[in-house]
Amino acid sequence: ETKAEMGNKTWADLAGEMKTFLWNPEERTCLGRTAKSWGLILLFYFIFYTCLAGMFAFCMYVMLLTLSPYTPTYRDRVAPPGVMIRPYLNGFTIAFNVSKRSTWQPYVDSMHHFLAAYDDKVQEEKNIECISGKYFIQGGNESEEKKACQFKRSLLQNCSGIEDQTFGYSRGQPCILLKMNRIIGYRPGAGVPVGVDCKVQKGNESDLRSVDFYPGNGTFDLMYYPYYGKITHVNYTSPLVAMHFTDVKRNSLVPIQCSLHGKGIVNDVNSDRFLGRIIFTLSIGK
Amino acid sequence: MGKEESYELGPRGPAAPKAPKGRGRRKQERLEDMKKEMDVDDHKLELPDLEAKYCTSIAKGLVGAVAAERLLRDGPNELRPPRGTPECVKFGRQLAGGLQCLMWVAAAICLIAYGVQEGQGDRGSADNLYLAIALIAVVVVTGCFGYYQEFKSTNIIASFKNLVPQQATVIREGDKLQINANELVVGDLVEIKGGDRVPADIRIISAQGCKVDNSSLTGESEPQTRSPECTHDSPLETRNIAFFSTMCLEGTATGLVINTGDRTIIGRIASLASGVENEKTPIAIEIEHFVDIIAGLAIFFGATFFVVAMVIGYPFLRAMVFFMAIVVAYVPEGLLATVTVCLSLTAKRLARKNCVVKNLEAVETLGSTSVICSDKTGTLTQNRMTVAHLWFDNQIHTADTTEDQSGQSFDQSSETWTLLSRVVTLCNRAQFKAGQENVPVAKREVIGDASETALLKFAEVTVGTVSEARGRFPKVAELPFNSTNKFQLSVHAAGDRQLLVLKGAPERVLERCSTVMIKGQELPLDAQWREAFEGAYADLGGRGERVLGFCARWLPAGTVAAGTDPEALPEVAVGLCFAGLVAMIDPPRATVPRAVLKCRTAGIRVIMVTGDHPITAKAIAAAVGIISEGSETPEDVAARLRVPLEQVDPRQARARVVTGAELAGMEPGVLEGILRAHPEMVFARTSPQQKLVIVESCQRLGAIVAVTGDGVNDSPALKRADIGVAMGIAGSDAAKNAADMILLDDNFASIVTGVEQGRLIFDNLKKSIAYTLTKNIPELTPYLIYITASVPLPLGCITILFIELCTDIFPSVSLAYERAESDIMHLKPRNPRRDRLVNEPLAAYSYFQIGAIQSFAGFTDYFVAMAQEGWWPLLCLGLRPRWEDTHEQELQDSYGQQWTFEQRRYQQYTCYTVFFISIEMCQIADVLIRKTRRLSLLQQGLFRNHILVIAIVFQVSIGCFLCYCPGMPNIFNFMPIRFQWWFVPMPFGLLILIYDEIRKLGVRRHPGSWWDRELYY
Repeated sequence: ETKAEMGNKTWADLAGEMKTFLWNPEERTCLGRTAKSWGLILLFYFIFYTCLAGMFAFCMYVMLLTLSPYTPTYRDRVAPPGVMIRPYLNGFTIAFNVSKRSTWQPYVDSMHHFLAAYDDKVQEEKNIECISGKYFIQGGNESEEKKACQFKRSLLQNCSGIEDQTFGYSRGQPCILLKMNRIIGYRPGAGVPVGVDCKVQKGNESDLRSVDFYPGNGTFDLMYYPYYGKITHVNYTSPLVAMHFTDVKRNSLVPIQCSLHGKGIVNDVNSDRFLGRIIFTLSIGK
Repeated sequence: MGKEESYELGPRGPAAPKAPKGRGRRKQERLEDMKKEMDVDDHKLELPDLEAKYCTSIAKGLVGAVAAERLLRDGPNELRPPRGTPECVKFGRQLAGGLQCLMWVAAAICLIAYGVQEGQGDRGSADNLYLAIALIAVVVVTGCFGYYQEFKSTNIIASFKNLVPQQATVIREGDKLQINANELVVGDLVEIKGGDRVPADIRIISAQGCKVDNSSLTGESEPQTRSPECTHDSPLETRNIAFFSTMCLEGTATGLVINTGDRTIIGRIASLASGVENEKTPIAIEIEHFVDIIAGLAIFFGATFFVVAMVIGYPFLRAMVFFMAIVVAYVPEGLLATVTVCLSLTAKRLARKNCVVKNLEAVETLGSTSVICSDKTGTLTQNRMTVAHLWFDNQIHTADTTEDQSGQSFDQSSETWTLLSRVVTLCNRAQFKAGQENVPVAKREVIGDASETALLKFAEVTVGTVSEARGRFPKVAELPFNSTNKFQLSVHAAGDRQLLVLKGAPERVLERCSTVMIKGQELPLDAQWREAFEGAYADLGGRGERVLGFCARWLPAGTVAAGTDPEALPEVAVGLCFAGLVAMIDPPRATVPRAVLKCRTAGIRVIMVTGDHPITAKAIAAAVGIISEGSETPEDVAARLRVPLEQVDPRQARARVVTGAELAGMEPGVLEGILRAHPEMVFARTSPQQKLVIVESCQRLGAIVAVTGDGVNDSPALKRADIGVAMGIAGSDAAKNAADMILLDDNFASIVTGVEQGRLIFDNLKKSIAYTLTKNIPELTPYLIYITASVPLPLGCITILFIELCTDIFPSVSLAYERAESDIMHLKPRNPRRDRLVNEPLAAYSYFQIGAIQSFAGFTDYFVAMAQEGWWPLLCLGLRPRWEDTHEQELQDSYGQQWTFEQRRYQQYTCYTVFFISIEMCQIADVLIRKTRRLSLLQQGLFRNHILVIAIVFQVSIGCFLCYCPGMPNIFNFMPIRFQWWFVPMPFGLLILIYDEIRKLGVRRHPGSWWDRELYY
């Protein structure tokens, strides 16, 4: 048989060869191996992989030993903080018709749901009052439970949903809550509270005529920081800034960018549009 | 003249061998057609008929206008280079291999995914577009690279062609012109002289002592006389046709061009060669074999996980992207480039050792070669007649036949030698060309025929300046050699005496002698001396040497007057004193016997295939060791046992000499039987077609055949062989065109280097491929885990491409510089059926063992990098949907921190980089273990391969650059990673080193055991 003939196999030959390869009744081999051969090689691989998995597990174990359950080894990837808004249903466009309740009711429900944890009663029950204008630093053992500062819903005043149960949506003056992402040990603003401002992101500046900020002038009080992690800082509630859009151009898409201002806050990274700022669109119809 | 006459030239034309079956038969029929076409009858025509046939004049030549017209009609007088594949097809082939097609599919899937996502208005899906572009770029770039390599090696060959156009002297309209030989047309009247290359097939009209060298056409090393008479029916045999591209050695001739370009005899043989199909090289078969397997496995894996993804509930498009990613991860994109580079490195190394490879893949073929069919003249021998033995004082003396005169000389003190050397010096018409005083004697150019040249050089070396001696004895009269007398004589003035010197065929010389000189004494030539003479003559003739006799006589001054009619001289030349015999041979090259021996130790059989006479062939075969000492041919056995040849058991005879005539009479299959029965074979008097048949027979026996040759007559066999090796200096263009490899120094010993390098590169390619394949598993597993366990993607496609095409190329190429683990020249040639390049243990070991360890290393580092940033291993499982949600800007990690999508994306890139570094770290261990397959690393020397060390350093540097160069995160998805993450995979690297040492130890200690069978690749 020459090399040339090797290349000229028909499909039938190939199929036949395949069949013999799968099961060769003469030599009692399957895929070219006898039962004993398969047994040996499988045993070998069983031992091999057991050892390997053992080594992997050991490495994982050693690694987990070195980790603190309270503080991540590194936090530079997650800082500076990102920003998020409420209501958040399924995107960053808040569009509703004032006259149609069904268009804004989901937003209102979402707000109520979110703010439930901020009810004054809940806060008073679980958390303590802190001294405003100072970081609430809690020393002691890392594993000790940390106390959380009260952030009462009532602080949000017009946007608290207490007086105006619709958060202004029924009047075409929606409230939007802004929250900073939690980062363990992060002290925003380096002593000066971080503030918030909003402007039209693209287009006519006059589309957004006035915004009210609560609490205060739209700042995150220092006393809510730092955050100590979900194990020890169980009742921690992120401070919020409510933005009351009291005069927004109706019947058009108004892209709005709200950003944080303060020392160490980054809000101008092109690739990350949620780092230190947030962009959403308001579309309020009649 | 000795040997020359003892073998009457038989019908040398291609005697029709019995046609073998199948494809061979078709070829034989074609060859027969070719033979018929050669039946030109121009040599039989009388000159006026010839003039009429070609509308020309043998006095004035063609008219310019007619010549121009004919040039237009027939085309230029040059061999059309064999039609190559069009460049675009060659390039297209580089883009359409098995793996490349898979890559195209992958790129198409990327583009479709991009298109669909773009259509859905999903922003940020440009990754797929980038990947598609990257994949296409990879295919095109590697294609360009392969094409460039191929182009480069073709170019080397192009440079062999004579750049200076050959000139021809032509007579047109009665004027003698010098024109480029390619402008000659049929009917042109041309003149040739000694030293010219015959510019076309020429019918000789007139000649003065014209001799041509037909060796490139017929393999005959004797110069052939050309004269106007038709001496034979066959155009190949007749003396009045000189063939295109043969050399005119001496004399002058005028002739009429009867054929030009491809219609010449040489042109026909050359086109016969181009008609012989080229066999795929063994390495090409190997590469195809495993590319098929890899492509098959890639599709299998891809399809399996496509189905798995669909079952798990991924959308169709997503599953397609998974399929694409798995293909990208599994296909070793850089492998073909690596193989090409490794081969071209070896080709370069060979080129430094004077072997130029035309076809890159042929580099390895010599390594697999099991039979070498070698031409004799010019390959095994020096292709120059040299004085080998002398007989004087009743004793055979051995002359120094080495190329550089480094051998032993003989005793030159005898008086007889003084006489003999004088005869040798004076009775010789050859002379050195002027202006070569500083050139070594052996290299000087000489005007004269081969044996006279040999004698001249011999005299120059042993006696001293010949021209001086000739000056002291001025020539008075001479009778040149002719075939009736078979001797030549000349008379020289020597002071007050005259010296008559005569040389010629020994028996003719002896007839004219009455005395013999022994130790300076002139003794009567009695029966005893005659017997001694006969003995010596037979002895030297039996060694395949051409023997000449020399004698002399002192005459009184004035015996022969100047200007005496030469025909009267023989009458004077009687009663001479016999001086001695000189035997000449085209001696083997000094390096050949050792090379042949090396081939034998390497399990390679060397067969001599020559157009020359059997006795000469056998003598040279014995001298170089093709017929080893003590081996007998059936004829020898018959002579020894005194039985008829038919009764000799072929098994008793290791050697055998088969002539072309015997070959022609053989039934199909008989030749194979003979090749099997006798390990030492010599084929003599073979035609080009028979050479082809011999090669094919060897191939039918399963051998991988190398053919060496220089002549046009070798070119079909060169083409048919698995690897054809042509001679660079002596080789004809046809041979070089047909060959895969060219020996620039015409030295057979270079073939041994080729074999060694070929075997080495096979071993090293194996290592290289094993190294390259290993990392496909750690590239593949991230996707499998990603799909099945829904962890954030640990390794991206772009990163994979960087591993494949950037960092790992250098180490895998550096393995080509690894030295052999054992003496590869003491092993048998590999069995192409059993010893595959990529075998099951290699794949299993690379994929399921080393690859698995690397995967674990990668995942360890991945989980460490995730956990240290806040994402604990268990949280990662099932995290994928939320992790990849572009709207999710506050995803909580294990500590309650909230991450934006972009922050997570950079974390993911960090994982890519960490996984990348893990693979790199493990690949360093991998490249170290791949240095050897059997020996311990310590035995091989960890750092002895400097290129490999440099490659590792380079690999790490590129890794660092990719990690820490600013801007990388957004361009190529590499992040600067923390220092300690470089060290996490190191225990696994160490494990690889230790585990492989254990494997090798087991393989060494227990050869043939289960361990050896399963784990030795």
